[in-house]
Amino acid sequence: MLEYLFLPPLLIFVLSFFDVQKSKKFLPIVSSLILLPTTLLLFSPDHHYWHDRLMIDDLNKFVLLVSAIVGIGVTLALESLRRHVKISPRHYRRFYRFFALFWIGMILSVTANSMGLFWVGLELATLSTVYMIKTNTTPFAHNEAWNYMIVGTIAISLILFGIILIYASAKPALGEAAMLFTTLKSHIHQIHSAYLFEIGFAFVAVGSFIKMGFFPMNLWLANIERAAYYPVAALFSGLLESAIMTGLFRFSSLAKELNQSHLIGFTYIYALLTLFVVAFLIYRVKDFMRLFSLSGIEHMVLILIFWVSGGYFAALLHFAAHAFLKPALFISTGVLESRGKYHIPGALKGYRGFKGRLFQILVALFMLAIISLPPSPMFFSELFGFSAMIDLAKGSHHLLLMLLGILMILILLSIIFYKFVDVYQAMRYEGQEHPKEVYAGEVGALVLFALATLVLLGSFEYIESIGG
Amino acid sequence: MTNLFIGLFLSTLITALLTTRLYRLFLWYGLNSIFLGLAALEQYKLLDDKALLISALLTLLLKGVVLPYLFKLFAIKFHTNRNIPPRIRLQYAILLIPAILVFTFYLIDPILELPGKNYISLSIAALFLSLLLIIEHKAIFAKVIGFLMMENALFLLGMTATGGMPMLIELGIFFDLLMAVVVINLLFEVEHA
Repeated sequence: MLEYLFLPPLLIFVLSFFDVQKSKKFLPIVSSLILLPTTLLLFSPDHHYWHDRLMIDDLNKFVLLVSAIVGIGVTLALESLRRHVKISPRHYRRFYRFFALFWIGMILSVTANSMGLFWVGLELATLSTVYMIKTNTTPFAHNEAWNYMIVGTIAISLILFGIILIYASAKPALGEAAMLFTTLKSHIHQIHSAYLFEIGFAFVAVGSFIKMGFFPMNLWLANIERAAYYPVAALFSGLLESAIMTGLFRFSSLAKELNQSHLIGFTYIYALLTLFVVAFLIYRVKDFMRLFSLSGIEHMVLILIFWVSGGYFAALLHFAAHAFLKPALFISTGVLESRGKYHIPGALKGYRGFKGRLFQILVALFMLAIISLPPSPMFFSELFGFSAMIDLAKGSHHLLLMLLGILMILILLSIIFYKFVDVYQAMRYEGQEHPKEVYAGEVGALVLFALATLVLLGSFEYIESIGG
Repeated sequence: MTNLFIGLFLSTLITALLTTRLYRLFLWYGLNSIFLGLAALEQYKLLDDKALLISALLTLLLKGVVLPYLFKLFAIKFHTNRNIPPRIRLQYAILLIPAILVFTFYLIDPILELPGKNYISLSIAALFLSLLLIIEHKAIFAKVIGFLMMENALFLLGMTATGGMPMLIELGIFFDLLMAVVVINLLFEVEHA
């Protein structure tokens, strides 16, 4: 069954060699085919493939389902890309081609039980993104494609370095099976050199943090997403960050078994530093793309600290909600910025007809949902996440320090909340009204993401059953 | 002999950090890869691991000869400026390089009982020095060479600390390296189109 997951992206890859203008109507249908194996896998028992190198377990079934919906949504939005931006047919075809490769890489890394294959998938996704950024032919995009190439590969190399150190720490006890997540988890206490494992984990974590734009690389991702066409940013937030986060979930679960206090200290300090910088960058932001991009970093920080604090349900709920809401907002920027990149006032005015009105309502709802206003799934995830953090603080030897950390996080989040409310009010009540065009592709994508978010609200029991 | 080759591997990396000419940088990268490949061959003799032999030969051929030659061709094709002065001044660089080496030995100090302890610290040092190479240059080619030297540091770690990674993973890494070169070429082609 697992092999069928690769079929829709492979089909898109093949179709990209033909005239995409003619076949683009079918591409969302082709990408929707992924729902079939994903749903079947959801109801099948956990299974290992290819000598345990790939696996299907509760966690990646959930991630695959979420990313399948994101993939379909982005393909829907790609249909109207040429109406919003200038892109030559050749580049349009190449965009689809590299998008397909990106998706294959992402599926490979999510389903990998071997740390090495996880890395290979991530690298494939990273390299294919370079050309997706480059489909925008401006000098700014060109520079950012190079930046992505260099910084992205540094991040990926650090991850591989960490994986090799982890493998080296476990190989004397476990042999070649030390490359597998499942073997490592079941024999974690047999590892002779826990120190080497922890250095390895630190490398993996720092590599993943760089890739997600954590401190000190906060503006790196925002600039790239600003330079690329908006579907690239949607893919980043919905698929690539999900794949990296899934890997981090697995690595941090291992590190937690070895030394929980080191993991908590390391993650909390990193998270606080990142949130501190990101909150003030968001406060000063002047365009939608950077606003959403920086807010993506904030949410990744939250997901990570919820997970390491033992709030698995909160982390997974936040993860899925972010994977639906953020691509939806990034796709909306194609329309919101139709009067210029820095025109936030009045961005939610000037929509006519059914499609326009629907777009307006959905964007308003997404904006409010991303700042965790109830009944957004993020409201519940933050509620459960912070209670998990407080539970952890109560059981630790550093109660006051941890409570101070949690308080700091809440204060920083309130700055972000304030900025989003301010932006929303400017979009809704300020500025001039100009007519704007909305197309079926992006509205279809937004409706899909809205439905998925609603379904998420009814799936708490299922998400809770996934566990850590 | 492994110690000698790894020593030469590190010295070529340090020399690359101080170089100001592009073709020389390609040369140091080629030599760096050749010494790494030779160290891998020595390790193969020691461990009798076929996968290591394939990796060593691929390193010698691809990274030691083909890639530096390809990069030189690219540089000629795209009329790249051959003068690449580093942004970090020489007097600071010669302080920074030993500091990195000492720090990595200090970092690995708690794992005294591990057999490949020195190699692990040298690999981490090579990683940090490659990062320094990327940071200190503005020229894209120099950054790409820094990235490739980072890959070499990874290979050194994989080879010495683990006694060879599983073959599949090594092939995956080589495949990705080749794809990186294709993407770099594409970027250059677009830049000069």
